[in-house]
Amino acid sequence: MITIKIAFFVGLALGQLSAQELKMPPNLDHLAAKATEVVDVTLDANLLQLAGRFLSDKDADDAKVKKIIGGLRGIYVKSFEFEKPGEYQDSDVEPFRAQLRSPAWSRIVGVRSQKSGENSEVYVKTEGGKIGGLAILSTEPKQLTIVSIEGSIDPDQLNELGGHFGIPKLGTDSPHKASKSGKDE
Amino acid sequence: MEDFERQLKDALSRKEPSPSFEAKVFGAIAAQQTGRIRFWRWAAALAVMLLVVAGFWMRHERQIEERAAGEAAKARLQLALRITVTELAKIQKSVRTSTEE
Repeated sequence: MITIKIAFFVGLALGQLSAQELKMPPNLDHLAAKATEVVDVTLDANLLQLAGRFLSDKDADDAKVKKIIGGLRGIYVKSFEFEKPGEYQDSDVEPFRAQLRSPAWSRIVGVRSQKSGENSEVYVKTEGGKIGGLAILSTEPKQLTIVSIEGSIDPDQLNELGGHFGIPKLGTDSPHKASKSGKDE
Repeated sequence: MEDFERQLKDALSRKEPSPSFEAKVFGAIAAQQTGRIRFWRWAAALAVMLLVVAGFWMRHERQIEERAAGEAAKARLQLALRITVTELAKIQKSVRTSTEE
């Protein structure tokens, strides 16, 4: 009986652990002081719901966004742009990467360029055979971007956003231009 | 002296009020009460009106605040999606480039 109870609680704890959402490393905040541009977007379920109320069903672009955020629980973005290389360390992003090593997450893309020093990784979380989360970790010598999207998301829907709201079409040239629009706060 | 006593007696003797005296007193009381009731009616109406105006004003302010918060959330959402899609586009381009190489 005791064994069953222990197994139940261990199972419960593991279940909660896998369901746990990604957390933005708090140590990233000190990078803001060194960065020339900072984007820090935190949209929890309540804010997504609020934003959704201001997206028109009649507007095609708004309708697409509304469809995307319908299944989301949160969107968290932190992006830093620095004047010179070496302003952040690998250890700054390690706590975030460590969370992505849990069984719930799988790395679907990893791109490392020795020449440019770029390193990009895309992770997805699967929940019941569907994508239940998306994480992007992109490091460049002078730029660091972390994206965490929680909830049911269809990458094809994201693809459809290309060409709208200043978003480049996927696969087109100079894609990063739009992200350098300035500070959010 | 007798004349004085008589005058005093007359002055202090009980006199019946005129028949209209009672009506005048009750009329004055009623008029006073009516004025008071009218005042409270107006005061209550004014209070209700002020409450209604305050209610509308608060609702209007709340709507303005909610709209501002909603528009800000929408702008943040668009920014977040723009960065996400931009990063994905960049990764896709890198993958394509490395595949072609």
